[in-house]
Amino acid sequence: MTALLSTRDLVVGYEGRTVLDGLELDLPADAFTVVVGPNACGKSTVLRTMARLLTPRRGAVLLDGAQIRDLPTRDVARRLGVLPQSPLVPEGITVADLVGRGRQPYQRWWRQWSAEDGRAVDEAMRLADVTALADRAVDTLSGGQRQRVWIAMTLAQDTDALLLDEPTTFLDLAHQVEVLDLLHRLRVERGRTVVAVLHDLNQAARYADHLVAMRDGAVVAAGPPREILDAGLVRDVFGLDCVVVPCPVTGAPLVVPARTQTSAAPPARTHSSAAPAGTPAPAGAPVGDA
Amino acid sequence: MTTPTPTPTPSARDLAVAAPANRANAPFEGPQVQDRRSGGRGGALAGKALLRVGPVAVPFRWRAVVVAVVLLVLLLAAVVVSLSLGTPYVAPVDVLRSLSGAGTPYDLVVRDLRLPRAVLAALAGAAFGVAGTLIQSVARNPLASPDVIGVTQGAGLAATIALTSGAAAVLVAPAALLGGLAAAVLVFALGARHGLAAQRFVLAGVAVAFAFRALIEVVMLTADPIDGLRAQLWLIGTLAGKGWTEAAWIAGTLAVLLPVLLWAGWALRGSALDDDTARGIGLRPVARRIGLAGTGVLAAAAVTAQVGAVDFVALVAPQVARRLVRAERPPMLCAALLGALLLVLADLAGRRLFAPTQLPAGVLTAAIGGPYLIFVLLRTRGRRS
Repeated sequence: MTALLSTRDLVVGYEGRTVLDGLELDLPADAFTVVVGPNACGKSTVLRTMARLLTPRRGAVLLDGAQIRDLPTRDVARRLGVLPQSPLVPEGITVADLVGRGRQPYQRWWRQWSAEDGRAVDEAMRLADVTALADRAVDTLSGGQRQRVWIAMTLAQDTDALLLDEPTTFLDLAHQVEVLDLLHRLRVERGRTVVAVLHDLNQAARYADHLVAMRDGAVVAAGPPREILDAGLVRDVFGLDCVVVPCPVTGAPLVVPARTQTSAAPPARTHSSAAPAGTPAPAGAPVGDA
Repeated sequence: MTTPTPTPTPSARDLAVAAPANRANAPFEGPQVQDRRSGGRGGALAGKALLRVGPVAVPFRWRAVVVAVVLLVLLLAAVVVSLSLGTPYVAPVDVLRSLSGAGTPYDLVVRDLRLPRAVLAALAGAAFGVAGTLIQSVARNPLASPDVIGVTQGAGLAATIALTSGAAAVLVAPAALLGGLAAAVLVFALGARHGLAAQRFVLAGVAVAFAFRALIEVVMLTADPIDGLRAQLWLIGTLAGKGWTEAAWIAGTLAVLLPVLLWAGWALRGSALDDDTARGIGLRPVARRIGLAGTGVLAAAAVTAQVGAVDFVALVAPQVARRLVRAERPPMLCAALLGALLLVLADLAGRRLFAPTQLPAGVLTAAIGGPYLIFVLLRTRGRRS
């Protein structure tokens, strides 16, 4: 595989705390990569560092083999789209206007708009299915619509790769699936490289071509989910006992938490007891990540 | 249902090749204005039209143009009224004839006594409008203005010291300018640790403002009462007894800043985005903030040094302009025009309301601008949600 983004001996920290210590990671081009791991494992930190939102203390992030910190940020923005975890919606901004901001790296103060900009914005809004919302104010939209608008903005950047930090958090199940389907289409139909941090292991297993499991700032395993995701990995990464069965819909690995102390004991609420092993859990159920 | 199946849609790159590049390759025939509906471009321009002059392409809102033209007409009318009212009263017709150099008996009153002050009011108001727009955008706070971030107090402290220490009168304005800039440097230094993030910028500003205000009180209380009174008047801000000299300084500052302001008008566009999103689309948010805030502070310090703390204009003009234009951030040109209009009206009211007693313009800007801001706020809220 050819690596689009790589990290070499990456050391990143906040204030006094070191989050990543010598991380080596290669993310393949033309794949949907999903990074999973428990809270505070450094998965968002990796993504943010690769997106040059964080400056590493040591080591390098390579974009197509070139050190990303040596590239002009405008050039990087034409190759790498970034969607942060909870972007701030400018008050009163319309959908079309916000999506248009994605054209920033192609614009200059004297040439603030081109026909190409218009085409890219229209195309991005169509892909993300927000064309009908073009004139609406973003802060009046639902969470799912809003997330599609943000994705449309990064699509308008017309980059080969997209990095998304927990794009499904705060969305209900239907909207989570909608967003992940969109990312899947981008990867399959448009040949974009997609990298996302996700919380839900089962969604990661279903959509990812390449899964990266992290714990304590290090990569525990990386590869196709069907090859690497098993009960042992979940125990190593999340410290949770579970059963891994084939998903009845896609055949991808499906992680079902095993009976724990709480669910085995007579519970106060009957519906909280774990489903018997082998029965598929609802796709959106939180898995091993409190 | 398995993983979603591809639907046959042409890719972005196919479209880019297939779409006719008619506009881009059209021979240049003077400025062209393109409406959003032309060329079947749908909502991509977000309700804006496009002005094209050769390689220059700038999207604009018709609404902003209309607002700017209306404000300009109102400003000119206010200046004429301001030149007309007073003792003696000069009919507007005679004002216009005098201004056109026709030679009237009123030339002295209109051109030498009233015009300098009206021009000063317009320029100072415009500079405050620009400063307020820039500072509010960086602070992401509609309440931020030069006096919230300490520039006014820095200028005020230096002016108070100059006025109460018997320094030459010509030194007051330069001292105030340096004082305002010194306060700004302090705020920048305190706010720099977190990349001049909005919250920290405002907090640092408020802290500096309070410290300088306390020092002003100390200087005033220990000074001769007469000097203290002069300093008090300076602090409120007045245009009385001022004219071409002060106007020239402000005009000069704005002229020097003009190229920066053209850049700022564009750079402000990204200021409403959070830092991560801004970096993602290839901006350098911290450098931008320092540039924008620095420009705003320069304008604020320059104008405050000349006319004192008439800075309610800087607070109200950007917010009212923003609501008139219905934009997601204050529009700089309209804010400047509105600031000019507000200060011309405030100075006129200050001159005439209790004539022959003159009220300082600083008192009147708050009296006129405050209720209007409340009115606009109420009206906007009623319509939007």
